[in-house]
Amino acid sequence: MKARHWVSWLCVVFVSSLALVVAAIADDPPATEAERAYEIKETMLCPVCDGQNVLESNAPVASAIRAQVDQLVSEGRSDEEIRAWMARQYGKDVNANPPRTGIASLVWAVPVFFAVLSAALMVSAFRKWRVGRGTEPSDDDLEIVSSLRERT
Amino acid sequence: MLVRGSGSCIVIALLGTIGVAIGFVGAVGGVITLVSALASKREAHHRRAIAWIFLMAGGCLLAVVAMEIGLLRDDFSMQYVASNSTRSTPLLYKIATLWGALEGSLLLWAFVLSGYVTAVTISFRWQIQDRLVAWALLTILVVCIFFFGLLVGPADPFGTLPVAPLDGDGLNPLLRNHPLMAIHPVMLYLGYVGFTVPFGFAVAALVTGRLGEGWLVLTRLWTLIAWVSLTVGILLGAWWSYEVLGWGGYWAWDPVENASFLPWLTGTAFIHSVLVQERRGMLRVWNLSLLLTTFALTIFGTFLTRSGVIDSVHEFSASSLGPLLLGFFSLILVVSVVLIGWRGDELRSPGSIDSPLSREGAFLANNLLFTLFAFIVLLGTIFPLIVEAINDDQLAVGRPYFDRMLLPIGVALLLVMGIAPVLTWRSTAGQTIGKRALVPAAIGAVTMVLALMLGAQGLGPVLGIGLGGFVVGSSVRHLFLAVLRNGWAGITGRAGGGMVAHIGVALLAFGFIASTSFSEEGEFQLRPGDRGSVAGHEITFIEIVDEMDGPDRVVRARINVEGRGVYAPAITQYPTFGRPISTPSVATSFVDDVYLSLIAIPEEGSDVVVVRVLVEPLVAWIWVGGLVIAGGTLLAMVPGRRRFSAFVEEIETEEAGL
Repeated sequence: MKARHWVSWLCVVFVSSLALVVAAIADDPPATEAERAYEIKETMLCPVCDGQNVLESNAPVASAIRAQVDQLVSEGRSDEEIRAWMARQYGKDVNANPPRTGIASLVWAVPVFFAVLSAALMVSAFRKWRVGRGTEPSDDDLEIVSSLRERT
Repeated sequence: MLVRGSGSCIVIALLGTIGVAIGFVGAVGGVITLVSALASKREAHHRRAIAWIFLMAGGCLLAVVAMEIGLLRDDFSMQYVASNSTRSTPLLYKIATLWGALEGSLLLWAFVLSGYVTAVTISFRWQIQDRLVAWALLTILVVCIFFFGLLVGPADPFGTLPVAPLDGDGLNPLLRNHPLMAIHPVMLYLGYVGFTVPFGFAVAALVTGRLGEGWLVLTRLWTLIAWVSLTVGILLGAWWSYEVLGWGGYWAWDPVENASFLPWLTGTAFIHSVLVQERRGMLRVWNLSLLLTTFALTIFGTFLTRSGVIDSVHEFSASSLGPLLLGFFSLILVVSVVLIGWRGDELRSPGSIDSPLSREGAFLANNLLFTLFAFIVLLGTIFPLIVEAINDDQLAVGRPYFDRMLLPIGVALLLVMGIAPVLTWRSTAGQTIGKRALVPAAIGAVTMVLALMLGAQGLGPVLGIGLGGFVVGSSVRHLFLAVLRNGWAGITGRAGGGMVAHIGVALLAFGFIASTSFSEEGEFQLRPGDRGSVAGHEITFIEIVDEMDGPDRVVRARINVEGRGVYAPAITQYPTFGRPISTPSVATSFVDDVYLSLIAIPEEGSDVVVVRVLVEPLVAWIWVGGLVIAGGTLLAMVPGRRRFSAFVEEIETEEAGL
């Protein structure tokens, strides 16, 4: 590769990294109470409306839950406390985020397991293919070689 | 009135019943004829199957026409019409009521399927004695038997009532307030049902042992038609829910949405990996499995949405079809596994993928990611059912889960999509990548800087936007070179059309990322003349319009959106439906959408409204991206590239050598 390419690539990598760092710094965690309440409402399902979350639902119970969330947040309860409180009040399935303990943790773990497994399989497959290619020439290869030899 | 109505209705319902019966008989007759023809191997015998297939299609057409007549004439002694239509339903929605409820939607399914079978029969009419084509038709007809069987028995759409009510109940109001109701389900079914055709050919290839690339070439066009219809159908569904449901989103990871998304994911993996097989003769087992899975997932989705096992806004009424659909799904699985197991040895292909840094490697990565994506969607959808079955525990798997698990995969897919076009087949030298990917990568970097300047923030969103720019860059580079070589034919064919579709995906990704990450909202309690402001958009509440539309109370709030005009979100109280339905109004532009919806129905006589204002950037680009994807797929169907393929390959090898 020409030197010009290296310089250009360095520029691209530098600009990209800088942009990503700036982007990451600009993204602050929820600071105000309102932002925290918003995130909780966004991840709680309205118990009567088939999978809509309480932030978006127009159902009366959803607006009641919104008010309760605001109340609990202003009392300074932690996210976990509020979620647990809601689960006791309305059932575990108001929480749109499945828990990471008990049997529910499988829904998080199984895909990760499969991702790692398939990545490992890919690596070993490529390694096998490479080894196979390196050690024994195929029939096609031998044919090409012999035909070339005959010609000379 | 009552007498005339019920009299004509009996005739119509009878015609419909006869139509469905003819369809069933046609399908059975077709299967028997094909089986005996395959045994006798006589050409004339095969030809007889064509008549049965046409008979089946004719019967189904008769049934659909009968249902439409019943709907349009308000024949309420037909049970389906009485429960799903009313006299006051507008014409468009009367027509669309055909697919508004369970039985009718299955009738539409059978109708679309008959259409596909007829089209396949006509286009293969001279090769029908070919064993591959005969087996494919046979397989598709068995699927037809199943669906006509449902219509004849447990999901009969033509049941009658002894006494016709004066008026019907009507559809759920959410299904009759937007014209997309007339298009989205049909489009979705064209996609869903369309995968039956390649499925038939895949089974035929396995049965006949003709496992080469022949069947792939035969079905390529059909697969693309099914895929593009499903893509457009899903996006229209997203648009519809955006315009109608009033929460400002377009995708909720709802089980029914997932059911339509699952076959799309495996189907998308298939249309990519099939290129590896056509080019290198590899991945045969994998491609067959993907196609069989795709079809099985369409049946599984139908089971999910029509058996009442899940809660969803889109769900059909609970029915007794669950066990039948589950049984059919199991049958498909068993047949698929047995066939692939039986032919396993012959399917092994000789080649190997030399390097992960190659076109094949990219396709492989694409397939792994799509499969993982599909697996997570499937797991998340059925996990609550599994947990409930195991320990009777109720839990939900919602958007936060899908976002957390799937967004990284989406980012990885964008990366692969950007790199793939600069790779060559077999293996790619680092130098080649360095040279070809430089400009696309620079475009990606510039996109990120631009996004930051426009106010984007957050590592994930900005990275996604940058990769989107990279995808656009490398797709445009590919198209530019192709057009230089071949003129405008360069944008057609699988490579050209595919690149256009990728640009569409990148546009869609921009819209998706911006609208989910950077939306702002506000809720205002307004009296006439009051103002509110969200993300720089000034709104002014002008007046409230409270009127009766027949039996329904409709309240509109006329609101001026600064620089965009007057919009009127509404909220309607239907007497036959519990809580009021809010109909949003959206001020769209290519920069951002101002989404207005009324939160609660105002008290009568009051002029105070509660308005939710949502400002979502770049949403419109999701729909534009969908259009570009559809256009790209149509370009990919143009067979122009084949003529140039030898020429292009030469150039590609030259390029690789540089």
